[in-house]
Amino acid sequence: MQTSFIQKHLNILDYALSSLLRRKLKNGGIALIFSLVIFLLASFQFLTQSLETTAEKVLVFAPDITLQRLSAGRQVSLPDSSIGSLAGIFGIRQIIPRVWGYHFDEKNGANYTILGLPADSIQKAEVSLSHGRLPQKKKPGEVVISSSVRASLELGERKSFTLFRSDLSQASFTVVGIFTDNTDILTGDTILMNLQDARDLFRLGDGMVTDLAVSVTNPAETDTIAAKISGIMPDTRILTNSQIRKTYRTVFGWRSGFGSVCLLTALASFVILAWDKASGLSQEEKREIAILKFLGFQINDILALRFWESIAVACVSFLLGLTLAYIHVAFFEGSLFTPILLGWSVLRPSLNLDPAVTFADLLLVFSYSVLPYLAATIIPAWRSAVIRAETII
Amino acid sequence: MIIECEKLAKTYWTDDKEVPAVHNVDLQVAAGDFVVILGHSGSGKTTLLSLIGGLTSPANGSVRINGIDNWERDDRYISTLRNKTIGFIFQFASLIPTLTSLENLLLPLYFGSANNIHREHALHLLEQVGLADKASAYPSQLSGGQQRRIAIARAFMNKPDIILADEPTGDLDEETEKEILDLFRQQNEKGVTFLVVTHNSNLAKNQISPRILHMKQGVLSEEGR
Repeated sequence: MQTSFIQKHLNILDYALSSLLRRKLKNGGIALIFSLVIFLLASFQFLTQSLETTAEKVLVFAPDITLQRLSAGRQVSLPDSSIGSLAGIFGIRQIIPRVWGYHFDEKNGANYTILGLPADSIQKAEVSLSHGRLPQKKKPGEVVISSSVRASLELGERKSFTLFRSDLSQASFTVVGIFTDNTDILTGDTILMNLQDARDLFRLGDGMVTDLAVSVTNPAETDTIAAKISGIMPDTRILTNSQIRKTYRTVFGWRSGFGSVCLLTALASFVILAWDKASGLSQEEKREIAILKFLGFQINDILALRFWESIAVACVSFLLGLTLAYIHVAFFEGSLFTPILLGWSVLRPSLNLDPAVTFADLLLVFSYSVLPYLAATIIPAWRSAVIRAETII
Repeated sequence: MIIECEKLAKTYWTDDKEVPAVHNVDLQVAAGDFVVILGHSGSGKTTLLSLIGGLTSPANGSVRINGIDNWERDDRYISTLRNKTIGFIFQFASLIPTLTSLENLLLPLYFGSANNIHREHALHLLEQVGLADKASAYPSQLSGGQQRRIAIARAFMNKPDIILADEPTGDLDEETEKEILDLFRQQNEKGVTFLVVTHNSNLAKNQISPRILHMKQGVLSEEGR
């Protein structure tokens, strides 16, 4: 009984496939458009997942806690002597004073992230360079930049460049190293330099920094230590690594969600098209169904036939769309959607994304695409199954 | 009686006008009969076959096959009846273009479980209609007459009790027509009931004891009455 049921459906599937192949143009067209819609949806999902994964990997190197002073709700610089007031908190492994700010390069129209660290900290930092070395102590003006910044500054073979200070005087720098592209999501627009050089560029007073980067001995204690810092320095904003991760996830998730909603319009259009195509049976198709009914095929059999046809189109499109989306994200860095997900900054990081695909993503894309398609073809399938054979013949 | 029609009627609507296609037809066909219904086109012959074959529902009256009223049963019953009990031969070849001759023959079993025994039976039928060498040919590679012979062979595939044939030899040459009518006779001798509608009065001549009926404007009458 069971074998007969399986055999019956294998036969129906076999027939459905030959039927689809017979109308290559119509079904191929539908499958192509469907694949495109799935490709767009899946690209968004895969890219979001990959960005989150990449951000997670990069944030491993970020400080456990970042301290910024606020005045009137705005961030202001703070003296690096504040470190002393935190010395009594048990569990802090290291506190690094930083100058972290943005510098707008009018000439190139680019916004660079300037990161100034004490020379000792730079040497100890786990920074990956594609070539060169890190800035050294007592060698003012040495910087590490990303390949994107290098291209933006149009350095070519040169190693020196200048940036304007706020008083329009020029500060000179020498490139001694280039960041690896693996961390481009964070370092794509970064210029890393000695703390004093950053102070000089931003015209910060001696001993002033923009924030303090705190490392803790036990990451599980981060929130407790953050609370203690807050008690000692109530005028500071305290950002923990987990908060930053959460923010990344939220931002990418929100942008992806927004993009997906826009793509749902495309999906809706496709479903209408699928409905239309499934409803508009040609005379040849009607004649074929009539023949099948003459030969004793039941309404259920015709429904099963149409269902298998839809499943076949949906599966081929789903696999094709997913494969293209994976290739798009893995080999082309999701270039179609990175502007939406990362923002339209002038210096867009050249990403080396680790393609990350979860079962939940696949299920989501499946639910958004294949299920509506199958639903859209049910009623037309029923209408074709109840065709009155004698009126066709 | 294997087929019983009682006060069977069917009307169609054309341009808001009611056209009676079959009018109060009473017909009893015994198992093993060879019934030929002669009539011009438009006389209602094809509609009568559709009613008996359960393809269209009557406006009035009833059709009983083996004593059971078709229209008191559901789609499943009628479909099974068409698949197992009745073999249809249409006015046209009615083959599926993407299937080979052999696959077209196996089509009534396609949604069942076609196996090697069925395959052998199909090949035997192809031999009987003189197309044993065309088992792998697609309909587009066959002439109109050959396609028709494949469709006729298919009607016998499920070893039906009844054959309903609509102009079965319409576009066949004389020699092929004779072969087909011989096949009909052989099957009839085995006990298969035939109900053939045609305007070709020669069709009955080849059979042993045909029962000839006439149909005109939806009304059926027995020859000699």
